[in-house]
Amino acid sequence: MVDTASLLKMASVESSPAYDALTGPRGPRPRPRFSRRNIFLYGTLLVVAVYYLLPLYVMIVTSLKGMPEIRLGNIFSPPVEITFQPWVKAWAEACTGLNCEGLSRGFWNSVQILVPSVVLSIAVASVNGYALANWRFKGADIFFTILIFGAFIPYQVMLYPLVIMLRELGLYGTLWGLVLVHTVFGMPILTLLFRNYFTSLPEELFKAARVDGAGFWGIYFKIMLPMSLPIFVVAIIIQVTGIWNDFLFGVVYTKPDTYPMTVQLNNIVNSVQGVKEYNVNMAATLLTGLVPLIVYFVSGKLFVRGIAAGAVKG
Amino acid sequence: MASVVVRDVSLNFGAVEVLKSLNIEVEQGEFLVLLGPSGCGKSTLLNCIAGLLDVTDGQIFINGKNVTWEQPKDRGIGMVFQSYALYPQMSVEGNLSFGLKNQRLPADEIAERVKRASEILQIEPLLKRRPSALSGGQRQRVAIGRALVRDVDVFLFDEPLSNLDAKLRNELRVEIKRLHQKLANTMVYVTHDQIEAMTLADRIAVMRNGIIQQLDAPQAIYSRPVNRFVAGFIGSPGMNFLEGTIEGGATPRFNAGDTTIDTKGYEFADKPETGTKAVFGVRPEHVMLGEAARAMPYTSEVDIEIVEPMGSDTLAWTRLGGQNFTFRTDSEYAPKEGEKVLIGFDPARASLFDAHTDIRL
Amino acid sequence: MADTVETAVAAAGARPVERGRWERWLIAGIAGGVLLRLAMLLGLSVWFEELGTAGDWIVEGLPWLVLAFAGLSLIAVIANSASGFSLSGNRLRGHVVGWTIAALLLLVFDLLGPQFKPAVSVLGKPARIFIEFCGEHGLFLAAVCLLVAGALAASGSEKQLLSRPGIFERVWALNLTAKIAAVPMMLVALGVFTGGTVWTVVYSFTDSRLLPREKWVGLAQYDRLWGEDRWLISIENLLIYGVCSLVFSIVIGFLLAAMLDQKVRFENTFRTIFLYPFALSFIVTGLVWQWVLNPDFGIQGVVRSLGWETFTFDPLYNQDIVIYGILIAGLWQGTGLIMCLMLAGLRGIDEEIWKAARIDGIPMWKTYLFIVVPMMRPVFITTLVLIASGIVRVYDLVVAQTSGGPGIASEVPAKYVYDKMFLGQNLAQGFAASTMMLLSVLIVLIPWAYLEFGGKKRG
Repeated sequence: MVDTASLLKMASVESSPAYDALTGPRGPRPRPRFSRRNIFLYGTLLVVAVYYLLPLYVMIVTSLKGMPEIRLGNIFSPPVEITFQPWVKAWAEACTGLNCEGLSRGFWNSVQILVPSVVLSIAVASVNGYALANWRFKGADIFFTILIFGAFIPYQVMLYPLVIMLRELGLYGTLWGLVLVHTVFGMPILTLLFRNYFTSLPEELFKAARVDGAGFWGIYFKIMLPMSLPIFVVAIIIQVTGIWNDFLFGVVYTKPDTYPMTVQLNNIVNSVQGVKEYNVNMAATLLTGLVPLIVYFVSGKLFVRGIAAGAVKG
Repeated sequence: MASVVVRDVSLNFGAVEVLKSLNIEVEQGEFLVLLGPSGCGKSTLLNCIAGLLDVTDGQIFINGKNVTWEQPKDRGIGMVFQSYALYPQMSVEGNLSFGLKNQRLPADEIAERVKRASEILQIEPLLKRRPSALSGGQRQRVAIGRALVRDVDVFLFDEPLSNLDAKLRNELRVEIKRLHQKLANTMVYVTHDQIEAMTLADRIAVMRNGIIQQLDAPQAIYSRPVNRFVAGFIGSPGMNFLEGTIEGGATPRFNAGDTTIDTKGYEFADKPETGTKAVFGVRPEHVMLGEAARAMPYTSEVDIEIVEPMGSDTLAWTRLGGQNFTFRTDSEYAPKEGEKVLIGFDPARASLFDAHTDIRL
Repeated sequence: MADTVETAVAAAGARPVERGRWERWLIAGIAGGVLLRLAMLLGLSVWFEELGTAGDWIVEGLPWLVLAFAGLSLIAVIANSASGFSLSGNRLRGHVVGWTIAALLLLVFDLLGPQFKPAVSVLGKPARIFIEFCGEHGLFLAAVCLLVAGALAASGSEKQLLSRPGIFERVWALNLTAKIAAVPMMLVALGVFTGGTVWTVVYSFTDSRLLPREKWVGLAQYDRLWGEDRWLISIENLLIYGVCSLVFSIVIGFLLAAMLDQKVRFENTFRTIFLYPFALSFIVTGLVWQWVLNPDFGIQGVVRSLGWETFTFDPLYNQDIVIYGILIAGLWQGTGLIMCLMLAGLRGIDEEIWKAARIDGIPMWKTYLFIVVPMMRPVFITTLVLIASGIVRVYDLVVAQTSGGPGIASEVPAKYVYDKMFLGQNLAQGFAASTMMLLSVLIVLIPWAYLEFGGKKRG
């Protein structure tokens, strides 16, 4: 029996004597572990990483200290005595004006805004994107162009007309009003996202389904939806972080008892009356940042894909 | 003197062995083609020679100098890429001279070299244009020019014609051959296209799974493939393979179903034992039809199942020894489907392989 | 067989001209009627007010007259139709029935509107608005719907094989579901984005204060705007913040991306660290940096406690440099995004370009500067537009970090707009200021859109 090794011998050429001795450089180029280039590269990256992490560290450390310790020590030193009191206070007792329910109310408001906004905006935008990608009709491009322009126009220009519209509909100051606003302003980027995705799917699939007699909704639900789970996850990530982090719409379109978490946080921390409790402030800030941070760390690559898809393809 | 020597070169990506202890010597002025299916390591080997990839083990010599640790620019090579890799924001002239300017060559020398290269490649009228304003063939010419101005002894080509359409590919193939004749440089050329390999090469190295299967002149690879893989990879349409057993002593016979082929005239590397399972390979173009078949040592009467006219010649499908068998014939005398015809071939021109090891018997 | 088709084609061929002309009149009639009525609602009726009762008749009757003309055209279309008028074998029967039902429903709501009062009390204001709307315009819209149904019926009586679908069919019946599904998008694009923007611009020429009102004052609001210190400081801040933020985030973002592109180990970890602030809101960012830059406890305090008693770094409390304090926070939040975009751009560059540059012996920094960066021009431009449109909107960051202070040293236009509109009861000032914001974005946006989409035409 002949195995591959001897086959190799058959195939290879006999080396000429001049190169017989394996002298001189051989194998990979020597790479010093600590070349100047590497030290510079990793050094810079580390310094920048520390700069980026520092605020998060300061937030955590401060939120775990008692007020006396904060007044004495510096913001970077780890807590001598760990206390969770600030967290409890931020969640349940911190005051904005006369109201002393802490952030918890803002949190639940945000959740109540978030869920319908995400569902509604994605539902509307995915159908839009689908209609634009697969059922192109005359004039669709004009609307789409306006929509994309709308993504760049400062919201301030549309703030007041929307107030009037919502007031006419009786939704001004309610959670549903804000849901509508988020759906409207989420539309450009999401429509773009879905349109690009549906366009990238093979058109033959769509044609085959039409030949098979499926209609607009049939193709959407049976063909497109099952194939576009990843893009829906990306859209959810974009919307969850975007809506949770929103401040402007929250402050304009809701009333104090329906304020979302960000607005309430700002009111708690920047309220003028009383002694500043930095540890409570930082705990409250962390609490507010927690939802998008969790989304970010869990979703990882999809988050990056989302912002890249939204931004570069434009 | 050997121009490029690859000695015991291995390359691993993590646990994956991409190149397995390869040895090649390319003579001065030789045109060597690395041929193989995608993923066989041919481009990787070329990148190792260029110094774009570090080898895991082994050495590389160019012009007698050990360049294993040298940077690509110091190896005395020029390289042409599949995607042309032209610098899109520079004119053709800029593309040709950018590397030279970085070598701090005097301006008149640069101008001289650019002029010479553009004359050879006939791209003088394009010098002021951007790559985006060029056709695929023109771009590839500029890419070759960029290697040309470097004034080096060794040219490396990494599938340079794969991005071009069929017609242009044929034209540029001839042009590359002409260039080689004119310059007499050493050229190492990677491709998966056997026609390019056969037409261009002085020698071909057929690769598979990081191992060189056969390194020989094109004709030798065509007529005496060392194993079944090479036999099947070279030639279009592919070689017929009949599975069966070897029988008999002095002149062994090959048995497949109801067919027995006398192997008289076939040069065995080692006389196989009786009962060895073997594969008998015949190229479709070596099969004769009708009167011509009668003169052949082996003949058989077969039923034609399918006929595929291809213009100049016709491919006919039939069965031999109960297995699929094709042969090529002149379209003028092509048989019809369902017809019974006499075919014949010379076993001396055939190839026999061991059915287990796939190695030539 | 072929013979009959040919004669049929010949028969149809004689008619389309006629049919096309009347069909056009029909469309013009319907569109004209609706538009006229809309115009009357929006203020055209003012012209006829002086005529008293006769004027009222004109306001109400003129649109109806136009519709009646459309009805006559419809009859002409049907009369001229090659294959007669048939409902049972109609290709567009579904559409015809749909429009007829819509007409009937409108009529029902128009006539029986008051009967729905109980339902209204359950469904709330939107339902009431709908009922009122039907009461006022139901009859008119029902007529329009009936005309559309008739037109579609006429169009559907034609054999599809013999002629291409008429204009009416193409607009109202072809891919109708897709068009209905896109209605929210059209409403948003026209109603909110276009309508809202135009409304704001128009009302910036009024003297609206607590509520919008149509008392035109020309450019007076803009005069006041540009005479106000707070606005001028806002603009100055925006320019400083904008230019610095553009330059720094692009330079730093690109450098970080280039560093991460060197096949570094832990690339994912570094990228995760650089990008996480982008997941945080501006409010959180602002509050954190407010704390880190706190002069007593933050960086300044820490350095002083280490021995440098005179060390001063209190950007948030110093009018002259407060905008840079905000810049630090803004860059912290946004540079990760730019890095990611740049990294995606770098990864999109053909690997063989790098190989070619190495063979040519071009040093890495030169390859980046002279080959890669020029190749990434589209990425840079997109990034630029993205950052620029984001900068103009900067609002939450300032609110959280400084509330515009100390004094008015860190005011920005977006905050100016909000304060004037919702706190200062000076709507028109807010409208004027937001119009200026719009203008500044358009200055960036229009050339970009022209370059991006105008040059290559859609493909």
